[in-house]
Amino acid sequence: MKHKLGYLALPLLMAAAFTTQARADGETIAVFTKNQTNPFFQTVRVGADNMAKVLNAKTLQYIPTKPDSIPEQLSQIEDVVVKKPSAIVFTPVDYKAMVPGVEKINEAKIPVVNITDRSAGGKFLSFVGADDYSLGLETARFLLKTLGGKGNIVIIEGVKGSLTNVDRVRGFNDALKENAGAKLLASQPGNYQRLQALQVMENLMQSNSQIDGVLAANDAMAVGAIEALDGANRKAQVIGINGTKEAIDAIKSGKLLASGDYNGFAQGCLGTMMAIRSLRGQPVISEIVLKPTVITKDNYQPFDVPLEQRTCPTFEDAGKLGGK
Amino acid sequence: MTDITKEAMMPPRSFLSQDAIQVFYRLLAALLICAVLAVLSDSFLSLGNILNVLRQASLTFFIASGLTLVVLTAGLDLSVGANVALSACIAGTVIHKTGSPALGILAGLACGGIVGLLNGVMVTALRIPSFIATYGMLWVLNGLTYWYMAGETLHGFPAGFRQIGSGYLFGLPIPVYLLLVFLGIGTLFAQRTIWGQEIYAIGANPVAARLSGIPVARRLLLVYSVSGTMAGLASIIFLSRLNSAEADIGESLTLPAIAAVLIGGTSLFGGVGTVFGTFIGALILTLVLNGMNLLSVSANWQPLVTGIIVILAVWLDMKTRHRAQ
Repeated sequence: MKHKLGYLALPLLMAAAFTTQARADGETIAVFTKNQTNPFFQTVRVGADNMAKVLNAKTLQYIPTKPDSIPEQLSQIEDVVVKKPSAIVFTPVDYKAMVPGVEKINEAKIPVVNITDRSAGGKFLSFVGADDYSLGLETARFLLKTLGGKGNIVIIEGVKGSLTNVDRVRGFNDALKENAGAKLLASQPGNYQRLQALQVMENLMQSNSQIDGVLAANDAMAVGAIEALDGANRKAQVIGINGTKEAIDAIKSGKLLASGDYNGFAQGCLGTMMAIRSLRGQPVISEIVLKPTVITKDNYQPFDVPLEQRTCPTFEDAGKLGGK
Repeated sequence: MTDITKEAMMPPRSFLSQDAIQVFYRLLAALLICAVLAVLSDSFLSLGNILNVLRQASLTFFIASGLTLVVLTAGLDLSVGANVALSACIAGTVIHKTGSPALGILAGLACGGIVGLLNGVMVTALRIPSFIATYGMLWVLNGLTYWYMAGETLHGFPAGFRQIGSGYLFGLPIPVYLLLVFLGIGTLFAQRTIWGQEIYAIGANPVAARLSGIPVARRLLLVYSVSGTMAGLASIIFLSRLNSAEADIGESLTLPAIAAVLIGGTSLFGGVGTVFGTFIGALILTLVLNGMNLLSVSANWQPLVTGIIVILAVWLDMKTRHRAQ
């Protein structure tokens, strides 16, 4: 009898193990990003897809058709709550205004990971993001080191009042304070737009005959400023933030001094990884704030790889990259 | 047709008409702003800065010049900025794929023109109010552009092509020459050709225009196509000046273009205004932003001041026109 039971139990146990395995695969992860226009979020989405593929899960991308639209993301949340994905990886289009949306997800008991912009409220499994303040601080420090700690500097800001801009510019300013020889000539907005940054730079060059360094709050504005400098046959060291492909190309050709890596790819990978691990009952890291990397002509190579060919960090790497 | 109705329908557009007086006021306003800025900032009156202002105003002007014709017919084209974005992305792709700037320029102009033509078809054949038709088109274009670019940017174009937007000829930026050419063509077209006169007539009174035998639908198709083609031209300048195309440039271009038309004295009710006025409008907008940059005025004031100027310009316009009548 005992033997018979044993024979019966073994295949049963094995079947049970297989079904657990089967149930653990094929989850659907809804990935929310802010817009379809900023290359940064494209890197986030590719990272999320990449990780989902490695772990045998699926992603569903939710992107507002109107960039950063609060009402649109809210209605996408309403749709998704009805559709019930296994988990959500979430970037709020506005860190304060989307809190009611996050609460809706919480009420529906769908596990959710917060990436990129830290939500002002709601319950999350985990947060994965970069630190805008240290990105600003480290890139500005690198620029000032290159200039020998002195020189005339201008800041081209992003959208006034946006979380990323406030922190990046605070980092820029703190690095300037560390260098008594550096003089801030102006801090004007380019609203993260290339054309606006170019025109602001053209105008600033008129009233300032010597500009040695430009701190731009994103790469598009940095490249806009470089176009303005080129047009006027003037030279200055320029830094940007985000580590876009365009910025890497500009670093290679020596036009851009450096860019701070915002690491969208890793954010997408790790956010998705945490969501899936939690669904499979594996431990997760509750907070990963990626350490800033200043991409320069000496270390750009790993960033000069097409997105599709990059590989996601492993769980072991995640801790080293900035887990808490 | 009696002389009186003819007079009411087609006011004479000589250079000393009421429009010329309006343009004169605006020129005066622009000069006043210049005088104030010259006192406040040493660098304002430098040759470099004046060329800057003209070059920066030119992009807004190209978009706004075609738009002026649309507004003259009492219509509106809200899709111009989105059209610039799509046309720039298409022109950029064609240059990358074929290596030929000429083909890229043609593609950009064609894309802009076709979008304009479609706007015209919606307004004339389907009789959708232009405000709604072009607003719908704005979404269609954004959708197409976002899908097509998928968050990427196109960048790096041949040096020869870059000359169009960034180059100089005899010390003047090339966009400034284009500005003068299109200012001349636009003014001559609107003031001195039968078609131009018919466009004013349609805006002043579309029913009377139709009854007097003006082919209203054909003229409207022309006007929307011109607006679209000018957006296509602006996309080429944009691409060449910035060395890159990205999907999200539209929104930042539409409102300044509409503002330039309104500050320039073209009435949203149609039939009144000039292309030259629009040029002054683009100039005033650029001067204000340039001045605030030179004086390091905080960023938050820039849109606020622009808004006040638009409101003031329209209000003054209604005041002075009322008195003239």
